[in-house]
Amino acid sequence: MLRIKGGKVYDPANNINGVIKDICMDNGKIVADVDGGRTLDATGRIIFPGGVDIHTHVAGAALNFARAMTPENQRAASKFMHTADTRAGIGGPTPTTFATGYLYAGMGYTTVVEAAVPILSAKHTHEELRDTPIVDKACCLLMANNEIVMDLLEKGEHERAKDVVAWLVWAAKAYGVKAVNPGGVTAWKFGKDAKVMSEPVPGYSSITPAQIVSGLAKIIDELGLPHPLHLHCNNLGAPGNVATTLETMKVLEGNRAHMAHLQFHSYGGDDWHTFRSEATQIADYFNKHKNLTCDAGAVLFGNAVTITADGPWQHLLYQLTGRKWGNLDVENETGCGIVPYTYKGSNLVNAVQWAGGLELLLLIDDPWRIFLTTDHPNGACFWRYPEIIHLLMHADVRKERVKKLPAKALSRIVLGDLDRQYSLYEIAIITSAGPARALGLKQKGHLGIGADADITIFNENPDGELMFRYPRYVIKSGEIVVEEGDIKNPHDGREFVVKPAYDPKIEDFLRPLFQQVYTMSFENYPVELERVHGIEVAEPKNSHG
Amino acid sequence: MSLIIVKNATCTFCGCVCDDIELHADGEKIVETKRACSLGESWFKHHTAERLYPDALIDGHPATVDDAVERAADYLVAADMPLVYGLSNVTCETQREAVSLAELVGGVIDSHTSL
Amino acid sequence: MIYWGGNPAECHPRHFTKYSLTQKGKFIPNGRKDRTMVLVDIRETPSAKAADLFLQVRPGKDFELVTVLRAVVKGQRVDEASVAETGITMDQVNDLVAQMKAARFGVIFFGMGVSMTRGKHMNSAAILMLAAEMNAFTKFVAMPMRGHGNVTGSDVVMRYTTGYPFGVSLSRGYPRFNPGEFSTVDLLVRGDIDACLVLGADPGATMPQPAIDHMARVPTIVLDPKVTHTSRLARVHITTAVTGVSAPGTVYRMDEVPLPLRPALKSPYPTDEEVVRRIREAVKRRPAWLPQRNGKAVG
Repeated sequence: MLRIKGGKVYDPANNINGVIKDICMDNGKIVADVDGGRTLDATGRIIFPGGVDIHTHVAGAALNFARAMTPENQRAASKFMHTADTRAGIGGPTPTTFATGYLYAGMGYTTVVEAAVPILSAKHTHEELRDTPIVDKACCLLMANNEIVMDLLEKGEHERAKDVVAWLVWAAKAYGVKAVNPGGVTAWKFGKDAKVMSEPVPGYSSITPAQIVSGLAKIIDELGLPHPLHLHCNNLGAPGNVATTLETMKVLEGNRAHMAHLQFHSYGGDDWHTFRSEATQIADYFNKHKNLTCDAGAVLFGNAVTITADGPWQHLLYQLTGRKWGNLDVENETGCGIVPYTYKGSNLVNAVQWAGGLELLLLIDDPWRIFLTTDHPNGACFWRYPEIIHLLMHADVRKERVKKLPAKALSRIVLGDLDRQYSLYEIAIITSAGPARALGLKQKGHLGIGADADITIFNENPDGELMFRYPRYVIKSGEIVVEEGDIKNPHDGREFVVKPAYDPKIEDFLRPLFQQVYTMSFENYPVELERVHGIEVAEPKNSHG
Repeated sequence: MSLIIVKNATCTFCGCVCDDIELHADGEKIVETKRACSLGESWFKHHTAERLYPDALIDGHPATVDDAVERAADYLVAADMPLVYGLSNVTCETQREAVSLAELVGGVIDSHTSL
Repeated sequence: MIYWGGNPAECHPRHFTKYSLTQKGKFIPNGRKDRTMVLVDIRETPSAKAADLFLQVRPGKDFELVTVLRAVVKGQRVDEASVAETGITMDQVNDLVAQMKAARFGVIFFGMGVSMTRGKHMNSAAILMLAAEMNAFTKFVAMPMRGHGNVTGSDVVMRYTTGYPFGVSLSRGYPRFNPGEFSTVDLLVRGDIDACLVLGADPGATMPQPAIDHMARVPTIVLDPKVTHTSRLARVHITTAVTGVSAPGTVYRMDEVPLPLRPALKSPYPTDEEVVRRIREAVKRRPAWLPQRNGKAVG
């Protein structure tokens, strides 16, 4: 039992905007009142629901490959000492699992979504998540280049494709479905890409990226998954990709979708020399289409490691930078590329990218539909979110930073003209209430009765960066886990998994196919229940038969 | 004794880690393998569940696992720079415990990869 | 498909049939007939029988040959005398490069003949660079042929728990990595280690003698299903169940795909996992070691 007394509460999901009130919790949940137990005096402090990261890369085969590729980053990163309570670890762009839990919790984040999991190595992702302490977790499954799914979509076998998708989600013990560069990762098997939404994917006779996108979005909606299709559009990072992004959003009309790291998909220009931000055009369309949510995928200057299933893009980045490049092809399912990258304030393209993420956050008018992310570790490390919060809250600080950009960049961006400033209430939306709602996690992102008692208490500070970097207390499942930057009694978090309805006969369809094209036994493919620690299963209702 | 048949078993002999092996076991020994290569077959047939060795040895003398575990802990705690080495022919779950142990005693952990 | 410095026919017998050479696929309907296989090695092993082309490189000249290939791939001029030193003719080099560029999807599987001979990791790095650079022309990848069982798993587990794949020192309370400083043979030969826990390996049979001598000098603990060479020089040996035969768990294939074990036997001995956990719990019952900073425990 715990009572937090006297704090100023920001709980946007319950329309509470800076009201001084007590918050009580018992058994890990928010309750109306408690009789006895500890009281925490939060007078003069700010209370938020624990942060929710809707899109990050913190566990999985690709990230673990990146760890192998970048010992120099680990060497330079912050160190986590072994103590009586905590495990040793390393921070930096690809933190170790234990450090990941401590870093997120230390920043007041209590729920994270690993955004890209191949089914073939899902067991590995769950192993890493098991050793990611404190935070609750969920993961999205890579599906838009799965050859079995693509073949079915190409043949127009929608119902069967739906059963396969549902079966795969449960087999991998995932929460949602992610589409990355639909068709493009498959094409990468031949060194090609799929850049035009309406042209057949190389190696296929008729299916197009547009058909994969709309097919999957429809399937996810019909299966009633709590989180809509989580979409990384085609043509990521390329000059002029705004056209592809707009076309994709049009294809999605009539279905829900979450547009991942939208900043990387909002570029104009014909080449790197004419590269410019098209955040305005994207925001205009996005504001009018309420079926969509997005996350920013903001960029900060400094070191990053780009890790994405978008294989062809990573080859291009390798050629552009001449830096290390790792490529993984995951049999019939997906692929992955890894290239360490440094965003430089003096570089025209990087300056436009930096501005673009902030522009989207400021131009998209509904904070319930855009969430704070950096596509960690692609745009910047997640533990740098407080720097972005500070910029969102202070137009003058932004304008000073804009002045330091290369002169050539100024005509390519509109950031300097934007006066909007986020309130604390809006920050609580884009870091917690909004992403929780978009994920369909009803017990997260708010402080109403019955919600998970995940709470962050900040010292009020005009320097948003300082305030959000160092919460005074972080409470997870009703227990104080961070006190003035120190991790206390870390526990294991839970994992949210969805079991959509499917016809069990689908296994008879899959088994022979599997024996033909996979290197693994069908029986060894699904993730066993006992492998997922702290599992919590939701069973959505299939809305179409 | 009736044979136990295990399908889709995984062979850990080489890095291929084939997982389509069928094993026929009589409780103490694997008497037949299907789909395993010659290396895998001899690996499976060679390792039995017979009690061929003492549970533990301390200074070359038979001992209980409990005593051996305590002695091992004494040595590791007393050491300034203990080494945990090998990790090839064990499961990931074991490797995970081994990292945790190495951390607890402030040691070095290393595998065949360093050779 | 290029196998370099490996002998899968004898060391990974099902690699050809289950994973690589003969499998039919959606885009390779005729299996073996649709593929070209090249073997590069210092001697004509039984794997050469499976190859369309065998190239016999001179011992210790792998790095040189890869470097020549990288140059020719990029259209750079190479010195014929340097090529001749590798044991391969210029015509063979040109032919190989032409075949590589003509492939739709190329792969180089490199074995211990590359990574464990003169040049070691430099050879591996050169092969990885060759594969990366080939992507300017066509899709190309490279993959190491890992040896024993779950050595891949140990890399994987150490990376996510410590940030580094092997040779990790936790003596300061956080992970540090420096091959040569924290790699086992170096540590043992220098006599830096004052206790040793060996599991899933038998270094007493394979390591250089000075390393073995040091293991015998310090208290060594062995967990193994058998009494091994190392057990005989150890102070403590604990017999454990056999991974995959009588012990369950997870192992990683050489391409880092995790697979569950399905043990067919029930062992009279505890598993390695259980014994390590029990040792860890026994350590926890003793006074804790905590990293020191300025004479004070941290945390």
